[in-house]
Amino acid sequence: MKKTLFAVVAMAMILSLALAACGPTPTPQIIEKTVEVTKEVVVTKEVVVTKEVEVEKPVDRRVVIYNSYASDPAPRAADEALVKMFEEAHPDIEVQHSTVAHEDFKQAIRAYLTASTPPDVMTWFAGNRARFFIDKGLIMDISDVWEQEGWNEDYPAGFRALSTVNDKQYFLPTSWYWWAVYYRKDIFEQYNLQEPQTWEEFLQVCETLKANGITPLTIGTKYPWTAAAWFDYLNMRVNGPEFHINLMLGKEAYNDPRVLKVFTDYWAPLIENGYFIDDPAAYTWSEALQFMVDGSSAMYLMGDFLRDSYPADQVGKIDFFRFPVIDPAMPIGEDAPTDGFFIAAQSQHPEDAKTFLAFLGSVEAQQYNADVLGRLPTNLKVDTSKFTPVQQKGLELIKGADYVAQFYDRDTTPEMAERGMSAFSEFWANPAKIQAILEQLELERQEIFAEE
Amino acid sequence: MSTAKFFSSPWRTLGFFLLILITLIWLLPFLTALLTSVRTNDDILTQGFIAIPKEWTLQNFVTAWNRGGLHKYLPNSFIITIPALFATLLLSSLSAYALARFKFPGNRLLFFLYVGGTMLPFQVLLLPVFRLTDALGLYDTHLGLILFHTAFQLGFCTFLLRNYMRTVPGEILEAARIDGCGEFRIWAQIMMPLTLPALAALATLEFTWIFNDYLWAIVLLRTDALKPVTAGLATLQGQYVTDWTVIVAGALIATVPTVLLFIFLQRYFIEGLTLGATK
Amino acid sequence: MLRSKKLVPYYFLIVPLLLYLGWVIGPMLYTFYLSLTKWDGISAPVFRGLANYERLFRDPIFFTSLKNNLRWIISFITIPVVAGLGLALALNRAIPGAKFFKASFYSPLVLSLVVCGLIWSWMYHPAGGLINSVLRAVGLENLARGWLSDEKTVMWAIIAVAVWRQVGYVMVLYLAGLQGVDPQLIDAAKVDGANSWNTFRHVILPLLTPVTTIVVVISIIDSLRAFDLVSVMTRGGPYNSSSVLANFMYIEAFNNYKMGYAAAISVILFFISAVFIFIYLWRVMQDELEY
Repeated sequence: MKKTLFAVVAMAMILSLALAACGPTPTPQIIEKTVEVTKEVVVTKEVVVTKEVEVEKPVDRRVVIYNSYASDPAPRAADEALVKMFEEAHPDIEVQHSTVAHEDFKQAIRAYLTASTPPDVMTWFAGNRARFFIDKGLIMDISDVWEQEGWNEDYPAGFRALSTVNDKQYFLPTSWYWWAVYYRKDIFEQYNLQEPQTWEEFLQVCETLKANGITPLTIGTKYPWTAAAWFDYLNMRVNGPEFHINLMLGKEAYNDPRVLKVFTDYWAPLIENGYFIDDPAAYTWSEALQFMVDGSSAMYLMGDFLRDSYPADQVGKIDFFRFPVIDPAMPIGEDAPTDGFFIAAQSQHPEDAKTFLAFLGSVEAQQYNADVLGRLPTNLKVDTSKFTPVQQKGLELIKGADYVAQFYDRDTTPEMAERGMSAFSEFWANPAKIQAILEQLELERQEIFAEE
Repeated sequence: MSTAKFFSSPWRTLGFFLLILITLIWLLPFLTALLTSVRTNDDILTQGFIAIPKEWTLQNFVTAWNRGGLHKYLPNSFIITIPALFATLLLSSLSAYALARFKFPGNRLLFFLYVGGTMLPFQVLLLPVFRLTDALGLYDTHLGLILFHTAFQLGFCTFLLRNYMRTVPGEILEAARIDGCGEFRIWAQIMMPLTLPALAALATLEFTWIFNDYLWAIVLLRTDALKPVTAGLATLQGQYVTDWTVIVAGALIATVPTVLLFIFLQRYFIEGLTLGATK
Repeated sequence: MLRSKKLVPYYFLIVPLLLYLGWVIGPMLYTFYLSLTKWDGISAPVFRGLANYERLFRDPIFFTSLKNNLRWIISFITIPVVAGLGLALALNRAIPGAKFFKASFYSPLVLSLVVCGLIWSWMYHPAGGLINSVLRAVGLENLARGWLSDEKTVMWAIIAVAVWRQVGYVMVLYLAGLQGVDPQLIDAAKVDGANSWNTFRHVILPLLTPVTTIVVVISIIDSLRAFDLVSVMTRGGPYNSSSVLANFMYIEAFNNYKMGYAAAISVILFFISAVFIFIYLWRVMQDELEY
């Protein structure tokens, strides 16, 4: 046994062993040889790598490198299907498609973008997060693709604006989803409840549910972005979208009395009245979904991906309504995060990358996503007549909005979002401490935006 | 001691059952993982986290194998881990020998460098190492990743092997020197065999670490075709939706090589982790 | 001849050292420099002197993290060391199924950290979790809580998982150490009339001192580098109450892209570690064995 093992380990050392001959040989010579050996090992490894590259890149097909963060099961399958459709239409182009876990992609993207051979096409968030890279000159100007594909006409002005910096287009927005308050239809029927339009109606619904032993709202704030949705909506409904977006851009203060009002007059009462489930910080958003599934809770403020996670045989039991209006004088703002694609400025295959991008923005590709994923298209030419009632309703929801925000952690800087969301969950645990929490958050804001 | 004799003492019997109880508690999370791997997400959502499934399924293993791409990522894991492992052991045993058996200026400083290098939270090195790799033209190659793993593990391995090599009695080496053996032969034919238990122990630990890495893999590799199994498993985590049952199943598959190695090297592992403490 | 002999150790060192300098020490020194700059990972770093450090010492998360790392160290150099040693002593004799027990206690190390984190989150789950269910079943309802959502318990809950993994590791180290203890010495002590405790205290423990030193060094390194479990179980939450320095650094670096700030955190962590390395090296210096 011991001998077998020794043999195994010895294999690794075999070259060195062979050279370490005994005898009066002067030491320096042996050393020279050993150095050689180490070099040899390195060379062998390089050969292995070269071979692999040859295998995966047939000479006759041109290559587009495509890295995607669509790692959720359903979008990932659709993503892979789209690549296949493209390759069938363009047999001379091979798309080297890599899917990277969503969170990891966000970390790796700075490596991708600054590498000497970056991926050609990448998924990313529209808005501020893309703007950052555009300003650094890392994203290619694709105005020509917009022009050539007729997107300037086929895409709504809002999406075009989201992709444009200094009159040039850099981004292709392709998919977006709405946020809304999802609820159990059967529970609402049971207690004779209607979809609430105003804050008073909403509170009334909560009160009725609670009186009947059902926790009105579920939420999982273990990762606190879910709490940020409540902040986005309350702040937009109370103070209006304009104030909200200025706060996101660091132009307003967190210790402003208007911000304080959001917490003390609207958010805190919901918590203190026991309208939310107990101990939300113990759950992720999808773990908290369980309470809606088992009927112990009836409503959930969430993005439309909620329906992807809901047990397939019960998803018919849920519906959604617009976050209730608080101050009718304020314009309506909605969260509708938009994702899309761009081409790296350093792309090695810009022409083929543009061909691929043109396909991703085409009616064909968007129709596929809409049909398979139930996602809303950005291209107006997509046929929406066959949309399900749910999709139609979502579309109406966003069409009725005066302002569309991206989401807290996309609208403000990543660092501010991190501190802000952490503050929201601290408020959740200690609503009485909100004043002190906002003062601290304001200090952070000054620190963060002073550096920008 | 025979089993009958062992249980003849009531105290020993009591202690034994206590041990069984503690062991079972210790194994609970592992058993939960096994249980989870044969359940469905809907089952977890409707029945709770720890429950006997209404229906058993092996589908998760199939999904992990196909969608997680384990079949294509697993070979990459070996292509990365095995050369890195051997290079680490070879190079660290060289430097450990020098630090353990020679008195020369800078010995302590170098030892400090080796130990100190392992102290930095290595995540901070990600971008500098990425820049270096890219500058050398090794970005998106296995070699770049192998070189980094080798270099980074050198610190810990040198630290342990040096301590181990310090405990080898000097007389053996002295006798060999008098016989006219060169230092390299002493290293290869005397020191290395004597260090075998420590090398086996390190091989197991290092294999586990390098094999399980994925942070570096996603930063130093860009192409899916080159990525190791851990990166493949990670892609099963979505932004919002994650198939936990599939991830657990995939993770269980991915532990197989480590477990096999552990079983194979166990004898030496138990002996070898002495790490220079005895003899 | 004499000159070449002096060079021998350098021949052994040259290849590993070059690699180490290039890939670890170089980037490490670069990190020291980065800690004096503002860097987003893309543009060129901008030198800003000690600004990152000044900000760090105003940042409440830094102090929370520091405190948590200390908790981690204290837990790690006590519980797993005592438990691991106890298990090693218990299993280092002819017990039926000893191999099974050893493997069981080692098994947590093999399981991927992501899965460990997931399963333990379920154990700690406030409603359906095993721990609260057991507490309720034995009538200790008032102890049941959201272990990972309560700022007072979250850090300890995560450390408990880390300890759960560490015990097997330490056990193996001590088992290995015990292989080297000469049974004759123990018999001799028994003949002299020493009881089990005294044998352990005056014979076995001193013989295990070198293992204990290594265990303590490894435990301290592991505590200071603690990252994965926090990252997968809470990501430092709720509101940073379970943040540790490595995790804090990682979020600053790769979520917020404050590379300079993250580098400053690393440098501080390095200097804390350096204190322990110097203590250790000081002990090594005492070792007068000839080369």
